[in-house]
Amino acid sequence: MALIAIIVLVVVLSKNVVYFRTVSEAVAERPSDGDRRIRLAGEVVPGSVTETRNGVRFDVTDGKKTVEVVHRGDPPNLFKAGAPVVCEGRWDRGARFDSDRILIKHGSEYEPPDVDSERASAGRVAA
Amino acid sequence: MKASLGVLALALGTSATVLGVGTLALGLYRRDERLLRAGRRYVFLVLAAAVLAVGVMEWALLSHDFSIEYVAENNARATPLLFTITGLWAALEGSILLWGLILGGYLAVMAYKFRDRATDPLVAWATLTGLVVALFFFGLMLGPANPFKTLGTAPLDGRGPNPLLQNHPLMAFHPPMLYLGYVGFTVPFSFAIASLVTGRFGEGWLADTRRATLVAWGFLTTGIILGAWWSYEVLGWGGYWAWDPVENASLLPWLTATAFIHSVIVQERRGMLRVWNLSLVIATFCLTILGTFLTRSGVLNSVHSFTESTIGPVLLGFLGFVAAVGIGLIAWRGDRLRAPGRIDSPVSRESAFLANNLLFAGLAFVVLLGTVYPLLAEAIQGRELSVGEPYFDRMTTPIGIALLFLMAAAPALPWRATSGEVLRRRLLVPAWAGALAMLVAVALGARELAQVLTFGLAAFAVGGIVRQFWLGQRSLGLVRAVRGNPRLYGGLVVHVGVVLVALAIASSSVYTTRREVRLTRGQSAEVRGYEVTYLGSRTERGDQKTTVSARIRVERGGDDLGTYAPAISTFPGTPQGIGTPSVRTGLREDVYLTLISSPNRQGRVTIGVAVNPMILWLWVGGGVMAIGTLLALTPGSRRPRIARPAPAAVEEPVEPVGAPV
Repeated sequence: MALIAIIVLVVVLSKNVVYFRTVSEAVAERPSDGDRRIRLAGEVVPGSVTETRNGVRFDVTDGKKTVEVVHRGDPPNLFKAGAPVVCEGRWDRGARFDSDRILIKHGSEYEPPDVDSERASAGRVAA
Repeated sequence: MKASLGVLALALGTSATVLGVGTLALGLYRRDERLLRAGRRYVFLVLAAAVLAVGVMEWALLSHDFSIEYVAENNARATPLLFTITGLWAALEGSILLWGLILGGYLAVMAYKFRDRATDPLVAWATLTGLVVALFFFGLMLGPANPFKTLGTAPLDGRGPNPLLQNHPLMAFHPPMLYLGYVGFTVPFSFAIASLVTGRFGEGWLADTRRATLVAWGFLTTGIILGAWWSYEVLGWGGYWAWDPVENASLLPWLTATAFIHSVIVQERRGMLRVWNLSLVIATFCLTILGTFLTRSGVLNSVHSFTESTIGPVLLGFLGFVAAVGIGLIAWRGDRLRAPGRIDSPVSRESAFLANNLLFAGLAFVVLLGTVYPLLAEAIQGRELSVGEPYFDRMTTPIGIALLFLMAAAPALPWRATSGEVLRRRLLVPAWAGALAMLVAVALGARELAQVLTFGLAAFAVGGIVRQFWLGQRSLGLVRAVRGNPRLYGGLVVHVGVVLVALAIASSSVYTTRREVRLTRGQSAEVRGYEVTYLGSRTERGDQKTTVSARIRVERGGDDLGTYAPAISTFPGTPQGIGTPSVRTGLREDVYLTLISSPNRQGRVTIGVAVNPMILWLWVGGGVMAIGTLLALTPGSRRPRIARPAPAAVEEPVEPVGAPV
């Protein structure tokens, strides 16, 4: 009984782990990641942002590799060219990244003023 | 000057705790009653010091004394009065100060309540334990988390509190409620440690701390629900719970404390589960410290480059110390902790409580694992990752449903053993109510198994509760029945609140409709029967913030439901735009509007429209739980029955004062 519970727990946990990858890491791990959800971290390439019917399309880069991201939904307020972003989603069949959630990395001048603000910034920026 | 006064108050508090601990320890060692009486008085000095320190900080905030770093960071000249006052708990150092004040308050109430038993070693050890905890927090404030640190040159104006924290008056209540809950568990924890040290692990310490535990639990419950409300009303992402580490940190001690509140009853009635209860209390206290560590040290959410605070390792060290002391004491006393009673039948009240406890402990483990797994993975494998919400949803739903079933069935089960006849008589009507509710839910279009079950079990539970109240009414009259056993009836009222919360969660997690619409002025869109029309927008420039709000008319079937104004505010000094949702609250469903992007060059806005069913009942349920807790706290006309199996086993022999430690 307890054993079954632990097995279920481990399986469900491992299925729902979302790895955090820089653009280069993500490109390198793409074959093994398949259609698993990951978080892709990089900088928005200036001049690459275009509006689509239901969201935005832009490139993110870490200086070494660049990936095209198609995001569903409006980007958060802080989203702009050059902004450090974390996109959550999965690879589509081509080499594009389908994102449905964008987190904006806070600048280093920002300190955690309180639990609740930390909670707020923990990923509610986009739905 | 204020800074020196503040540091002086903290130094006074620290010395008082040290002197108190020393006097009590010496008194216990020498069995000197005079010393024990003197030792407990230091508790009041600790409280006075905490009041003074908080007073100085509030004075500094109100007078905008920016020479103190904390004030400069969390206050500005233009900050409104309410948020100037709440600035005390707007950041780490101030929160610890508030923590110290609340701890001082609880310890003082404890010392006052047990003033006639000051020489009782159990009380003396409990006071000593509480003072050690206070010493830790005062030490923290004198060291790494000093709230009165000064700046070389005072800036002309401060930075002001984080914009998110000055957007809603709920901010004034939610953190203090949580802290009143967190800190309150220090009292049962202190008594648990005292009972282990003195070897009196009968039921005495439980009866002594029953009310303190309930008070803390009630505050924690209220704090969690207010947090969810704040998240819903202020953050504007449309939900109320996201399995965020900070939310989980408050839920974890709540889970173990809820388990404890239930298993205490088994120990009182049957003398069983002693080790378990002690472990739950110690675990609850450890989880409050762990929660503070997780949320305050910046170890989680590595996506955000928050500056790391130095108090992380200190808190972790304290956590390790508390856990080691707790586990060590239980191991040391293990042979003497064997309980006299045993479970006679698998279908009895005590086995239902046992199952309840296993489920709550399992739930706490699931949430704890999901919360700390990213930390472990990073420490062990060096990989950054996060655990997705589906893990939490999938794992907690079945446990939650099983708990709901127990909540419905257990109050009808008799102690020790039962017969099929009794069960039939007590559960038949509620069970029919549950079956009927499931049929109605399916007929109304519910298709998710978890949801249909929740509706059925909710009706089952309410049926059982109504039956209990009806029996009380028939035998004694309701008022006398409730006054005769406030804990039972208060508990049942809390259960009604839980049912409401469960219904709200089950409905809103499945039936929410969420859409983003782009509208130019005068244009409208339809979302699940509601027509939303963009009427225009307005920009307000204040010296504190610039707010863009969109006027949105909501109609349903031609009826005008009013005009709502979701907004985005930007604050000077922070690049973040803060959205303020506007919610039309309804008995059946909420229409939740957010301004996602302000008018662009073509005058077009993006509006988030969500229709969230039954959300109102989440807050109502929380209120009912608080009322139930208050009812359970009212003094009853009958003392709770305490197991007295055999005269010899009532209470272990009291060990002489100054037992080996």
